[in-house]
Amino acid sequence: MSEPTETATPTENADATGLLDRWDALRERESFSVAAAVAFVVVFPFVFTNLPAYSGYMSLVELIYIWAIFAIGFDLLLGYTGLLSFGHAVFWGGSAYAAGIFSANAYGEPLVMILVATVTAVVLALVIGVLALRRGGIYFAILTLAFGQMFYFLALGPLAPITRGENGFTDVSVEPLLGVLDLGTGFAGVFGAVFHDVGYVLYAGFFVLAVATAVRIVRSPYGAILKAIAENESRVGFLGLNVRRYKLAAFVLSGAFAGVAGGLHTIHANYVAVGSLYWITSGDIVIITVLGGIGSVFGPVAGAAAFLYVENIVSGEIAFWLLVLGALFVTVVWLFPAGIWGIVDELRSAVRGRLTGGDT
Amino acid sequence: MTLLETDGLTKRFGELTAVDDVDLQIEEGESLSIIGPNGAGKSTTVNLITGLLNPTEGAVRYRDENITGQEPHEIVQQGLSKSFQTASIFPDLTVRRNAIVASLGAEHGSFSLNFLRRLGGYNAVADRARRTLEDMGLYDRRDVKAKSLPYGDKRRLEMALALAGDPDLLFLDEPTAGMSPDETDDTVELIERIKEERGVTIVLIEHDMEIIFRVSDRIAVLNRGSKIADGTPDQIRGDPDVQQAYLGGVEI
Repeated sequence: MSEPTETATPTENADATGLLDRWDALRERESFSVAAAVAFVVVFPFVFTNLPAYSGYMSLVELIYIWAIFAIGFDLLLGYTGLLSFGHAVFWGGSAYAAGIFSANAYGEPLVMILVATVTAVVLALVIGVLALRRGGIYFAILTLAFGQMFYFLALGPLAPITRGENGFTDVSVEPLLGVLDLGTGFAGVFGAVFHDVGYVLYAGFFVLAVATAVRIVRSPYGAILKAIAENESRVGFLGLNVRRYKLAAFVLSGAFAGVAGGLHTIHANYVAVGSLYWITSGDIVIITVLGGIGSVFGPVAGAAAFLYVENIVSGEIAFWLLVLGALFVTVVWLFPAGIWGIVDELRSAVRGRLTGGDT
Repeated sequence: MTLLETDGLTKRFGELTAVDDVDLQIEEGESLSIIGPNGAGKSTTVNLITGLLNPTEGAVRYRDENITGQEPHEIVQQGLSKSFQTASIFPDLTVRRNAIVASLGAEHGSFSLNFLRRLGGYNAVADRARRTLEDMGLYDRRDVKAKSLPYGDKRRLEMALALAGDPDLLFLDEPTAGMSPDETDDTVELIERIKEERGVTIVLIEHDMEIIFRVSDRIAVLNRGSKIADGTPDQIRGDPDVQQAYLGGVEI
């Protein structure tokens, strides 16, 4: 692309516009988003592990993918449908326990564990969704919070013989992937430099799959209908669409993403903490999503990276890291209500403005 | 053929009877207007028919089927649509997106698990949305966010939303409220045209007498929740009850 100049001639402008149109057409394709996600999982570890104070372990990068999957799903509900759930820990923690308990008592193949986790989250989301979606706005938030806490106390007390209560579930037993590939097996040569080990391929693979699925959902009729519900719910009903069912569908879809993430987290941590069901976890996912930018697929990914960097790296340097997180959150949301992804968007339209001669 | 019929439709809010034993018949292809002073129960009547409110007593029949107490989306799915008095649109979506969402309801019923299918692949939805926007003269503004449309265009988009699902019967609640005389003329022309071209039966709720007498085949007059007259514009013009109760005895 030619150097953008203030005094671009009309022909140069036309060229730039033509290129931008082609760029837009390219971006519209789903394969573009998938390619972007693949490029991201290749490049991200190099960038992230070279950030200040980073001690260079890959585990945190994988953890970011897992939380990003959770956040992408959460944003389908918060950013697209306009529903604030304060109880999503129940899907994350519930599915994590399901995967862990299943691995200890039945079979610990990672893909099977993830399937069990996802099914558990979907069932939980169906039941809680039907009950909580009877109310809107703040009442919905409170109801989801109450259901979340109910499961936390169930895991802590009455279900302690199964969940091991306060100690968390320590008997997770992860088998090799497909029964043959140990998650810790590294790759040789260039492949090793890019994809590290089997575990990385598993987490990064599910991350790419989550991005692809979310992009597909956003570009399906659901993308349009859910945004319409967020803006003017009663009008959607008067267009002949069943608002309650669409909200439930959004709730269950976001629960399914949380389920995949919860299952992956059990595999990653080899342990399930009872805190995964606690309301703080529900709060974390709200902060991650809003910090990254609601109403986009990639915003929550940026939010997960920023949040986990502060939580795990900055916390090693500065004792009052929660204050840092709070300051970051307030600054971003105050200056850029659209979150970190909003900053990227603004930069993008600024560049575009210069390329097209500042007409936009 | 009678498209819609209400039988003893009544709505009470505590002590207040907002709609009192109203019988209406709407024939296919006819232009009915419902008029009445402020607080006569016009909008409440429409809300009872379209499912926003449940009647205290009485029944609504659409194509001889009882639809009383059904939810709005069920009623819309049967071909009975409503345009709101205030522009009830999706402000942050583009004009085109607004029409697409409206058109989706007619495509696959009230709910579908098509979250992995491309919206771009639904050609019928896109065609219907485009045709509706063209009919409403909004196609040139399709990429604009709905909130940045001028007031008159917002009202037309509101009508487009109600039309995009290809209804058989359309209630228009004060479509010209707050419009300038020029905009009002345009809107009346538009209503006449869509009636002609799409063969949709239109029920107008208005208190602008001039429009009513221009476009109606039949007029029903409400006052304090009750129907006090029902007839051709000429009959209504000469009706002493209407002049007394609604027009304050002034000759029109």
